[in-house]
Amino acid sequence: MTDGQVIKRARYKSSVKDFGVPGVLKMTRERFFFMPNDPKSSARLNVEFRLVKGHKFTKEGSNKQALLNLTVDQGGNYIFEFDTFSDRDACREYVATAIAVSGEAGRAGSERSAAPLQDEQLSHAEMERRIRLLQEDSELQKLHKQLVIGGVLSEAEFWATRKKLLDENASRKSKQQVGLRNDMFHVKPSSDGQSNKVTFNLTPEIIHQIFAEKPAVRQAFLNFVPSKMTEKEFWTKYSRAEYLHSTKNVVVAAAEAAEDDELAVFLKQDDMAASEARRKIRRVDPTLDMEADEGDDYTHLPDHGLSCDGSKDVTDSPYELYRRSLLQELNRHAAVVLEGRAIDVELGDTRSVAEALARSKQDDLTDEVSDGNINQERLDRISRMAEIDDLQAPRDLAVAPLCIKDPRDYFDSQQANAIKSLGDTLAGAKQMKCSLSTAEAYGSLRDYISEIKTSGLNDSIVKPEVALKVLNGLTQSISSTKYHLGKNPHESVLDRLPYVAKQELLHHWMSIQELLKHFWSSYPITTTHLFTKVSRLKDAMSQIYPKLQEIKESVQSDFRHQVSLLVQPMLQALDAAFAHYDADIQKRSAKSGERPNGFV
Amino acid sequence: MKFQIEDVTVYFPYDHIYPEQYAYMVELKRALDAKGHCLLEMPTGTGKTIALLSLITSYTLSKPSNPIKLLYCTRTVHEMEKTLAELKLLHKYQIQHLGPAARILALGLSSRKNLCINPSVVSAENRDSVDAACRKLTASWVRALAIENPNIPSCEFFENYEKAASDAVLPPGVYTLQDLRVFGKEKGWCPYFLARHMVQFANVVVYSYQYLLDPKVAGIISKEMQRESVVVFDEAHNIDNVCIEALSVSVRKQTLEGATRNLSKMSQEIERFKATDAGRLRAEYNRLVDGLAQRGNLPLADTWLANPALPDDILKEAVPGNIRRAEHFLSVLRRLVQYLKGRLQTENVEKEGPVTFVASINAQVGIDQKMLKFCYDRLHSLMLTLEITDTDEFLHIQTICDFATLVGTYTRGFSIIIEPFDERMPHIPDPVLQLSCHDASLAIKPVFERFQSVVITSGTLSPIDLYPRLLNFNPVVSRSFTMSLTRDCICPMVLTRGSDQLPVSTKFDLRSDPGVERNYGRLLLEMVSVVPDGIVCFFVSYSYMDGIVNSWHESGILKDIMQHKLVFIETQDVVETTLALDNYRKACDCGRGAVFFSVARGKVAEGIDFDRHYGRLVIMFGVPFQYTLSRILLARLEYLRETFQIKEGDFLTFDALRQAAQCVGRVIRSKADYGMMIFADKRFVHVFSFNTSLYS
Repeated sequence: MTDGQVIKRARYKSSVKDFGVPGVLKMTRERFFFMPNDPKSSARLNVEFRLVKGHKFTKEGSNKQALLNLTVDQGGNYIFEFDTFSDRDACREYVATAIAVSGEAGRAGSERSAAPLQDEQLSHAEMERRIRLLQEDSELQKLHKQLVIGGVLSEAEFWATRKKLLDENASRKSKQQVGLRNDMFHVKPSSDGQSNKVTFNLTPEIIHQIFAEKPAVRQAFLNFVPSKMTEKEFWTKYSRAEYLHSTKNVVVAAAEAAEDDELAVFLKQDDMAASEARRKIRRVDPTLDMEADEGDDYTHLPDHGLSCDGSKDVTDSPYELYRRSLLQELNRHAAVVLEGRAIDVELGDTRSVAEALARSKQDDLTDEVSDGNINQERLDRISRMAEIDDLQAPRDLAVAPLCIKDPRDYFDSQQANAIKSLGDTLAGAKQMKCSLSTAEAYGSLRDYISEIKTSGLNDSIVKPEVALKVLNGLTQSISSTKYHLGKNPHESVLDRLPYVAKQELLHHWMSIQELLKHFWSSYPITTTHLFTKVSRLKDAMSQIYPKLQEIKESVQSDFRHQVSLLVQPMLQALDAAFAHYDADIQKRSAKSGERPNGFV
Repeated sequence: MKFQIEDVTVYFPYDHIYPEQYAYMVELKRALDAKGHCLLEMPTGTGKTIALLSLITSYTLSKPSNPIKLLYCTRTVHEMEKTLAELKLLHKYQIQHLGPAARILALGLSSRKNLCINPSVVSAENRDSVDAACRKLTASWVRALAIENPNIPSCEFFENYEKAASDAVLPPGVYTLQDLRVFGKEKGWCPYFLARHMVQFANVVVYSYQYLLDPKVAGIISKEMQRESVVVFDEAHNIDNVCIEALSVSVRKQTLEGATRNLSKMSQEIERFKATDAGRLRAEYNRLVDGLAQRGNLPLADTWLANPALPDDILKEAVPGNIRRAEHFLSVLRRLVQYLKGRLQTENVEKEGPVTFVASINAQVGIDQKMLKFCYDRLHSLMLTLEITDTDEFLHIQTICDFATLVGTYTRGFSIIIEPFDERMPHIPDPVLQLSCHDASLAIKPVFERFQSVVITSGTLSPIDLYPRLLNFNPVVSRSFTMSLTRDCICPMVLTRGSDQLPVSTKFDLRSDPGVERNYGRLLLEMVSVVPDGIVCFFVSYSYMDGIVNSWHESGILKDIMQHKLVFIETQDVVETTLALDNYRKACDCGRGAVFFSVARGKVAEGIDFDRHYGRLVIMFGVPFQYTLSRILLARLEYLRETFQIKEGDFLTFDALRQAAQCVGRVIRSKADYGMMIFADKRFVHVFSFNTSLYS
């Protein structure tokens, strides 16, 4: 989305009421152009996105215009009207990313030049996004309140570590497709008890589901509405049919269907679904294909063999057409849910939903022609399935690439672990000598090679005993906690604590994480700004320290051990930070003797 | 790997072998050496099929002087595909180690419906119409006409195949049905007739049970198999049922109405021929006088389903004089249909033996036993004479003649039961006349006699001494192997009470108890919320499943279940069930997770694997006893008690147990697999004490 460009037909308007100048809107990364169709018109535009502060748009609806309004820094705005909402949405998305990119570029520039102490100029959208993030995430909000409003961190510092959240959220979230709810729609007719009226509620969601599960209804909708009846009449009729089904009175259903052709469509079995099924079955895995069995079964010629238990179905032929089973509906429903939302249409407009679904089915049909390699794939699959895996050496498994959604989050937590275990050694860590001469490097390499030559490469990288020890060390506390708490998987240590204590503990954990993150990232201290920041952070951390002790003491005695186990790593991490801080201050004061001017 | 079993070098396509597989091969080899039949039981998940295939192919390889042919019978087409896939693997391995010497020809055989590649034929909706559509293009008289008149359509694939004549052969290799179709398309030959031709030369043939057991099919397909063959019935725990079904016929009102229509159509045809081509009818009459009911070798494409009676029981003599003339034969059939119509109008359940039934036919409509016996042959001859190609239209009269032939041929082991309505729905009249076979040994006898070795194997054959009695044969080897477990990969449990401490059961008095239904629902709900991937549930019957799913739906339990997993259900419509299964697998593959509701004794329980993540848990709701009020079952039980001294209760428990074991065994495929099994019925405690060898 961020690269390339978007070109759409649009009308440029000076105000919403204005008819506007028809033309072409073209957007590139940095700027957008408007070329009127009439070359003599003066409504030509060429504006940089840098200047665009924000955008507004109209809600989608059948009788509304598809408008996009770009507001500019200086206070002006550009309004465009599009032919369709999809065009508008494409532009809207593009504009959103373009604004974000240019805004960020601007900010980055300013950050570099100006003193980072000052809050940078935020674009409106940026601010909005931050506010939204805070609103969505209560924990983040709490943290923000404590640290930023409490003056420990500046706004910019707080967000600097969350850049990922900021720029990804907006553009990525909308791309994720939402699946369908696995919820059978069943008209539960609600009657008011007094009159004989029955009410049905249909939402756009339900309508979409009906269309997806019942192609015949979808087709009927496209055929009947609006030429033969209104949408309301259509759904009334449909609900009538559903009601008849729910009474399970086949005879009545048949009688009503005989009188009303349109109603009959809903009452009869879905031929389209059946033919679709017949088409699909050709692509089924042959090791599942029970239809093929039937084709091979000469014992069960009509009336040969014994009728097995219960499978005898009574067919009163005239009514069979109107019989419908829950089982069938369940299968159909689950298949649709599994397929997921295949269409990318807003659910508001019933007709467009129906059309889009019909189209997607059409696409499936055309796909079918080229299923040569699907066949091959299927054969491979069967032969793979035929193997007995534990009688042979493991084959190379297909590896799914590891996808870490937020690398920062992931590696931060890893770092915390590392700090925890290295806690004490870090304080007294001696300065590593980092510059090596070529000769030294060569020497060490030679040593390694000769070592390998003598001992060979047979040794595994890590000795199994060592590996086991490490693993035990790492997992011991987990397993022992599990063990002590019994086998209930739902219950973790935290759940057994009083609610308040749990919340507080979690909150402290979060803020310690945050503070430590900032603390360690400030080293080595090169500017005064960093120095003050570090001391601020240190103060904040030392405030938390006693609070943790308090929690430890306040909880009941039977939880105390668990809590102290939980608090221990936090304290260790804080201790490590303090030790480092003190060591650094000492070093500095020693140095400051030489350089009385303080920091450079 | 490669190893020796006595004098045979076995090529086994894996690096390791389970100890029970080795033991299985040793026993199997002894049976082959002794040229006798054997009975081998080994639990599912131990690689029976591959052990069997690799021993028998290796046996042939090490004794090239007298090669044996392998006829491998599976219950279903999809099992056929699985077997062929394993055979492919094995073949690849053997070629790798032995070179071209290890080449074999192996193929699967199925009906036209599954093999035809002519788009105009295969698009017909069911098997019978595909067969008929094929005959319309390939029957000898149609082809003769087509030569003269190019406007009469013919099948290019069949013509090409005929033209290629003896050149039309399959090169060595392993062919699944799909491979056969692809090969046929490539060469432009009809895969169905090619496969039927190649069956005689193939080293391994994989086909369905019926191709050997059902005389109607076996008479065409398996007539010319050599004696030096090993016949394997895999998953054979239900083989007795297949045998009795092969010899059973039922007649309903619709059948009789259809038969009447067929008869009038045929008499019209006869009139037409009389007017235009009287010579043909006369020729047929003369042939029948000469005693040739079946005219020797029919052209390949003219054959139709063979005589429903077993080959040894078919009389090789001239058709009786009074049905030689076409009109006479039709009037005999009309009288027979009329008689059966009269019998169906009864208001009570009637049960009698074939002898009294035949006597009463003779007394009332004057058709004697011999005439009945020849009904099939006579009809067949008449249909060929009348050049009828739309055989699917004439299935009803076919059924009547099959019935007549069987009832005229057999005097014991059968009974005729007439029920005016279904026991469970007494208010709906649905009269049915059933000729049911009780003796499983009848249908399988010719197989035991004709072939050198017959191997009956399955995951559950216990009690293993029951099968030789049911099927009336003497196995040289009869062994039951247990599974060696290196770890607890299965966790069977019996659940007798629900969470409210009420007993759960599908016993008749508890069956519709809302408490039981609720408890079952809650059990499933708790399970779907903790078990990953796929769960399979088996119910005792369709009607029970339908009822309980509806009640779960109304009480909202189903909705809660659907919050955790997708729900797919086996229905009576195979197409829908197949798609449901396919979707179920997709849901398990993508991590969505799903539940599959299925029926014990149903098509799914019979052969679909729910291995690996496709089935981490299987729940058996209720003990799958047969419907004990069924007249047919009662008659069979009586016969078993009188003839084989098998107690009713024992047989019923044995039968329920093998079904249950079959259902839960679907979740384990290898020892690397794992799964949990819940038997939810208080009666399982007693059932398991009857036989503990299920999974020890």
